[in-house]
Amino acid sequence: MVDAFAYVPAVVLLPFFSFLVALGAGKYLPKGGAFGGVAATAGSFLLSLWVAATVAGGRAYNETLYTWAAGDQFELTFGALIDPLSALMLVIVTLVALLVHVFSLGYMNDEGETGLPRYYAGLGLFTASMLGFVVADNLLMAFMFFELVGLCSYLLIGFHFREPGPPSAAKKAFLVTRFGDYFFLVGVVAVFATFGTAAFAGEGSFPALAEAALAGSGDVWTPGGLGVETWFTVVGLLVLGGVVGKSAQFPLHTWLPDAMEGPTPVSALIHAATMVAAGVYLVARMYGFYALTPTTLAVIAFIGGFTALFAATMGVVKDELKQVLAYSTISQYGYMMLALGAGGYVAAVFHLTTHAFFKALLFLGAGSVIIAMHHNEDMWDMGGLKAKMPVTYYTFLAGSLALAGIFPFAGFWSKDEVLYEALVHGLNEPLLLGGYVMGLLAVPVTAFYTFRMVFLTFHGEPRSATARDPEPVRWNVKGPLTVLGSLAVVTGFINMVPVQKVLGLEGIDYLHRWLDNEWGGIDGLSSHHYADLGPYSSGYIGGGEVPTVLVGAAVSLGLALAGLGLAWRLYNVASPTEHTAKLGGIKDVLYNNYYLDELQVWIAYRTEDVAGGADTFDQGIIDGVVNGVSSVSLLGGNRVRRIQTGLVTQYATMLTLGLIALLVVLGVNGGWFL
Amino acid sequence: MILEALIGFTFLAALVVMLAPNAWAGRLAFALSAVPFVGSLYLWSRFDAVGNALTGGTIAFESRYEWVEVGGRTVSWFVGLDGISLPLVVLTTFLVPLAILSAWTPVDSRQSQFYGLMLFMEANLLGVFTALDFFLWFVFWEAVLVPMYFLIGIWGGPRRKYAAIKFFVYTNAASLLMFIGFMSLTFALGDSIGSLALPEITQALADGGLETWFGISPGRMAMVAFLATFAGFAVKVPIVPFHTWLPDAHVEAPTPVSVLLAGVLLKMGTYALLRFNFTMLPDQASALAIPIAAIAVISVVYGAMLALAQKDLKRIVAYSSVSSMGYVILGLVVFTEYGVGGATFQMVAHGLISGLMFMAVGVVYNATHTRMVGDMAGMADRMPVTVGILVAGAFGYMGLPLMAGFAGEFFIFVGAFGAPALPYAPVFTALAMFGIVIVAGYLLSAMQKTLFGPFRLETDYEIGPAPFHDVAPLAVLLAAIIVLGVAPDIFFEMIRDAAMPVVEGVSVDV
Repeated sequence: MVDAFAYVPAVVLLPFFSFLVALGAGKYLPKGGAFGGVAATAGSFLLSLWVAATVAGGRAYNETLYTWAAGDQFELTFGALIDPLSALMLVIVTLVALLVHVFSLGYMNDEGETGLPRYYAGLGLFTASMLGFVVADNLLMAFMFFELVGLCSYLLIGFHFREPGPPSAAKKAFLVTRFGDYFFLVGVVAVFATFGTAAFAGEGSFPALAEAALAGSGDVWTPGGLGVETWFTVVGLLVLGGVVGKSAQFPLHTWLPDAMEGPTPVSALIHAATMVAAGVYLVARMYGFYALTPTTLAVIAFIGGFTALFAATMGVVKDELKQVLAYSTISQYGYMMLALGAGGYVAAVFHLTTHAFFKALLFLGAGSVIIAMHHNEDMWDMGGLKAKMPVTYYTFLAGSLALAGIFPFAGFWSKDEVLYEALVHGLNEPLLLGGYVMGLLAVPVTAFYTFRMVFLTFHGEPRSATARDPEPVRWNVKGPLTVLGSLAVVTGFINMVPVQKVLGLEGIDYLHRWLDNEWGGIDGLSSHHYADLGPYSSGYIGGGEVPTVLVGAAVSLGLALAGLGLAWRLYNVASPTEHTAKLGGIKDVLYNNYYLDELQVWIAYRTEDVAGGADTFDQGIIDGVVNGVSSVSLLGGNRVRRIQTGLVTQYATMLTLGLIALLVVLGVNGGWFL
Repeated sequence: MILEALIGFTFLAALVVMLAPNAWAGRLAFALSAVPFVGSLYLWSRFDAVGNALTGGTIAFESRYEWVEVGGRTVSWFVGLDGISLPLVVLTTFLVPLAILSAWTPVDSRQSQFYGLMLFMEANLLGVFTALDFFLWFVFWEAVLVPMYFLIGIWGGPRRKYAAIKFFVYTNAASLLMFIGFMSLTFALGDSIGSLALPEITQALADGGLETWFGISPGRMAMVAFLATFAGFAVKVPIVPFHTWLPDAHVEAPTPVSVLLAGVLLKMGTYALLRFNFTMLPDQASALAIPIAAIAVISVVYGAMLALAQKDLKRIVAYSSVSSMGYVILGLVVFTEYGVGGATFQMVAHGLISGLMFMAVGVVYNATHTRMVGDMAGMADRMPVTVGILVAGAFGYMGLPLMAGFAGEFFIFVGAFGAPALPYAPVFTALAMFGIVIVAGYLLSAMQKTLFGPFRLETDYEIGPAPFHDVAPLAVLLAAIIVLGVAPDIFFEMIRDAAMPVVEGVSVDV
């Protein structure tokens, strides 16, 4: 029988080939190489389904495929790790990438963009890098593809390089994430130094070694005799630096809204399935290590909860469609971090999954609106598009309901589970409870900005000429929207934990069972194992699990509906006005993103000042000394020339004096006078 | 005999090109320079060295003829290769033809002399990397300076005289210091050596052959010699604070000369440090581990900060070399397999990447006649392929995975972090690693300002794509960088084999 796992490298390499083809021959191919990309991602998607089916058939895969550097000190390798988590992620990434490729036919080709081969090459490389990251079996390989993902985001965000904005945004995206990746790389190096390996899974993997070391049955290197637990916390936080950068968590989130300068399908890819997802996926991938360090978990949860609320507040005042979505992405990834920090491994992966679909949907829907609006993204110029573009409207609505967490759309189930995990574990952990409260407060804000966006864009009267007569979109736009729209409705049903708990229906929490290796998987990489490692105990309100589930769900749904209701009241009118102006000074602060961008620009300028100072110092002092020495010797040369008098007696005197001096020096050194 | 043939042919080629007419000297030089490259590939295919040439390993293509005897010591023609020198020989023979190709456009006077000197320099560089006798090595080492002096002084920019003299005097004074330091060491070895062969000297030092010489105790002698040679080589590398000749030399040098200066000449310094200081005097190196690591970190961060302050594209690349060489020093001083091996690998990787960067900046300069960041914008619009490769090269410089620079840097970092030979190794390593953020900062911001955005450049002529012979060497270099980044073991395997005896030579209490 042919083994699906033998084709895992092909899943990664197919989009890579489409990159090569588009780069090398794109301008001779129809549609600038788009079909190659569509075919490659379709192939990867089918292979991923097959791989997932094989995992469902009770098997897993953890093999080293290539030795990058075969040293004695460390062996640096590439390999593939296929377990329920990576199989699920493969399906998500390839599906979203495929739909983004198809959508691009409408968004890029039909709009007459130039540079299409470069665009499709970038998409191919982006997809390939992300897939390489997903299947990585060790931290070094993960880091390498993580960086390549960063490169691709640079290339695609800066796609319109002839304009001033995109290159600047691309630079910012790479630089800010690079700052995070610095810590990640130190973490990778530290993992090697500590454990001698960076493998994710198996007996000799670093999470397993860390577990053994904490249990006292293993010995690992720590710097300067630092305690094992302290050191693991440091290492965990270092790796987390990369996660915070890529997943756009506070305070490294600032690159993401700027990244909206990239073409909209690229935004969909970045936000739903590739770059931003990479950070959260990394924490999930090495959860066996994170679960061992309670401090790190608490930090993750707190950053997540804070980011969820913080980003949501900024989304409230934005005028541009994609800006609102950008802040919603930051906020939603905050929820995933909250879940991971709260010990809700499955909840985080669940939200990652549902978010991938509904956020890809919302971005592609926004792309459809942008086509219709001739690339005007200001929501105040829209309005009334509902009647003109029903497919876009209804799918976008489905995505918005999911984002707002309205029952029974996908986002409701996953967000509810995230909050539930944070609540039950947080009742005994004040820091976690803080994260929960912030996450809960973000719920009505999310619902509010989401429906502000929906109402401003689609409802009311058209507020501009283009909105009255929008450009129609074709099948290549509507097709992907329909697929994702359906997924935004149904994905939640893979994990209806509240229903199971309340009604006592066993076995409908499919995602829990999937990630718990119920069908197939690798020992040590199951949600049960992580729960055993984790530091948390559960607390309940109202006397048990069922009341807690019901109260939690009711509160979050109630808050979401309240936010939606407020948006309805304010913006679902024929001619809405800018109610946010009533916020006064707060609006300015929110609109300017709490002035964090200014802070980072300030830091950049001060760094340049320091560099300028170093340059002055270098030219003046260090090079000054060098040039000074040379002028002294030139001057000395002049003086020396004066003693060349031509008088033999003077030369003889000097020779004699010199000889005596030499003898004295040698004598002193040789000890003759002692 | 094969190494003699390689070096001899290159000298001969230099002579022939020197006598050729200017009109086709460039083409002739390119054709002739391909021969040493093919030769070095042949060497590679027949390479059979084991271990380190200085510590008693099996030397490949060993060839030794006694030359003269001075004061009871024989001086020989003694050449050979091991896993450290072969990659550098291949790097040299690979870069020279590409550098010659990149000279076709900018060099428009006295071509036969220019290309002749380039080949003359190559022959001496091959001598430096193959010589295993101190005297022979020193002759080649000094002889490299001569063509370099003329190449900068004749074909350079407006301040070429200043830069050439500064380069020559500074590095020559450093060589003198190094020479005195090392010769004192050989005198202090007394009867324990009968020649100036480097393996013999290494062996004698390891066996404790140093005697008290003019009242200087062996321990002090070794330390003085270490400091003198270290300072001498530090100028060549260059390590902060001995680096100020470098940007001047680069800014004035024509593109192909910069390529060889950054690509190969700087590696002479790190190669010599590895051979002399870290292989022959490992205990002194280990005793000075903290100060050496400190200047390595300072070179990385300070060099990167200086690059950040520059407005001239070539100066940016020049200062970033200071930064990159700091990593090499860190790798050497930690005395681990990945540290020393990674440092050697980084020499090759940086040779390729800095060569590519200088070449690409040169191609842009050929079209724009300015390198100042503020003078141009949006060059990607007019020279898409050149700019594409320049961007790729810049990412290579930033240490993008699957390109050679990442491999070199990662090997050094992973080798250094937990190194027992260096106290506070994690701190030093983490500080040095911050260089990867600064390098991204200045390269990305320079690229954004010059290559992207709306096109802007005041010229009275149209700017179009660069000619094929300008772009081809860029593409070839980029391909080599990627191949070496995907499969570093191409070189890293033999490098490790030759680096291990160096690592084992140090006595560290683990």
